[in-house]
Amino acid sequence: MFRLLVQELKFRRNAILGWGLGLCFFPLVYVGIYPSVAEEMAGLADLEIYAAMGVNLGTFGDWIGSILIIFLPLIAAIYVIGNGTGTLAGEEEDGRLEMLVTLPIPRGQIVTAKALALVISTVLIYLIVSIASWLVFLGIEGQIETDLVGRDMFVASMSSWPLVFAMSMIAMFLAAFCSNRRYANMIATAILVISYFGSNLASSSPLLEPFEPFFLFSYLDGTGKAVAEGQQLWNVMVLLAIGVVAFEMTLIFFQIRRLTVGAWPWQKGIVEI
Amino acid sequence: MTNNVIETRDLTVYYGKHRGILDVNLSVEKGEVFGFLGPNGAGKTTTQRVLLDVFPPTAGQASIFGKNCQYDGVEIRKHIGYLPGELALYANMKARDFFQMYEYLRKDKKSRGYWQQLADRLDLDTSRKISHFSRGNKQKVGIVAAFMDRAELLILDEPTGGLDPLVQKTVLELVRETKADGRTVFFSSHILSEVQAVCDRVGIIRDGQLVATQRVEDLFAQRMNRMTLIFEGSPPEGAFNIVGVSVLEKTRQSITLEVRENLPQVLAAASQNNVKDIETHNISLEEIFLNYYRKDEGGNHV
Repeated sequence: MFRLLVQELKFRRNAILGWGLGLCFFPLVYVGIYPSVAEEMAGLADLEIYAAMGVNLGTFGDWIGSILIIFLPLIAAIYVIGNGTGTLAGEEEDGRLEMLVTLPIPRGQIVTAKALALVISTVLIYLIVSIASWLVFLGIEGQIETDLVGRDMFVASMSSWPLVFAMSMIAMFLAAFCSNRRYANMIATAILVISYFGSNLASSSPLLEPFEPFFLFSYLDGTGKAVAEGQQLWNVMVLLAIGVVAFEMTLIFFQIRRLTVGAWPWQKGIVEI
Repeated sequence: MTNNVIETRDLTVYYGKHRGILDVNLSVEKGEVFGFLGPNGAGKTTTQRVLLDVFPPTAGQASIFGKNCQYDGVEIRKHIGYLPGELALYANMKARDFFQMYEYLRKDKKSRGYWQQLADRLDLDTSRKISHFSRGNKQKVGIVAAFMDRAELLILDEPTGGLDPLVQKTVLELVRETKADGRTVFFSSHILSEVQAVCDRVGIIRDGQLVATQRVEDLFAQRMNRMTLIFEGSPPEGAFNIVGVSVLEKTRQSITLEVRENLPQVLAAASQNNVKDIETHNISLEEIFLNYYRKDEGGNHV
């Protein structure tokens, strides 16, 4: 399995660099401009529309929470959905997976290597972005009033990784479960978008409140308090557990998957006599 | 103990309600080159995918080296080289890197570096990226990957597709060399001349069902069975109403027959009716093959 993992990481080398460096523009722009827009933002702090989008503009800590804890995973999730569904369903559709499964490698090892490669790639992307956040903060530290230190930027950036991990495993599960990549992508994207808006709206809508536990973003605290003190351990555990369960489900469904057929699990062949 | 490398029993695959293959009973002996013939959609690739445990059968069983393909797939695949019909490669890799990766993943030590010899024989530039290759060169990459670890069993799905005649010849040589080593080749194709050139036996699959399994020379034994009889006058009426004989064409002075049995009676009838000349036609494997596919005539079931 180690051999396959090495190969899978090699395949993702460019994606890691591209997404890592690309996402660096996020803290570079949104954290870097804060000193010049801080006053204007304070005036927008009470707007409901921003609350619905999960954006809090009250303080620098709130701003960082919105950007690094809420928006960063939203964008990183695009990578994991594309990569998570692509590494199984995508490769199945373009035929490369057939070459792989006809090698003497157990399917469980193929899925595990691919999942590990995806997890490692997201960790590396997050590390690049988190270091960039730290460095940007050091650049503007003298221009803003805050109790936060550089390390807080790094931790805040990394703190949304469990959600990305959960999303990546959900994407892989959907790739092993759905009949084709299109459905897997569609459902994964729907889960992401509904989770994001559902979580934000649930806090202000009594109608959605009972559903809050079902929204992944509910387990992510994007407030200034979370930037300073970190995420609640329970929430981190829930997200990691969702990821682990999704991975286990991926293992099960990939094991029984009729590769190259493009069928849902219940669409077994029916013998007509 | 059986000498069969591949054995299937009532192998059936359905895609939902659509038939893939139905009750395929097949055996491939050790050291033979077995040609698996059939047009597109007949079930060749489906059969191969079940053998390689890409998906399980709906019913029936398949075994390779005496082991169940569904439960011992990993162990079986250690000894198989496979060329899929729909070849998909890692386009951004150089061919050389692809072979090294393949070697690395197969944990193959006994044939390390053999891919380079194969690539040289096929005139493949391994320093180029696969995405820059033509279809033929991509096919060469697949062929090298299938042959590179000198597997006990090669499963080749239309191996010469997209190749120029010279390279096709080299591929057929590789198949012959594999057989000479005592290894086995399961070779699917719809190009009959190459099947004729390298195969010991052929299985013909039609609409998912194996309709015939024969030695290639037995198939060719049928080559004398089409003849045109030329008479002084018009061909005699009813003289060739013989069991196993069909009239294919009748002209003013000649009659063309397809003779499946009772050849001596045909010759006797020709002689009695003052035949002037007899022309025999070599029936190509292609024609024999097509005969199996004449649905409206019921085919030539064996």
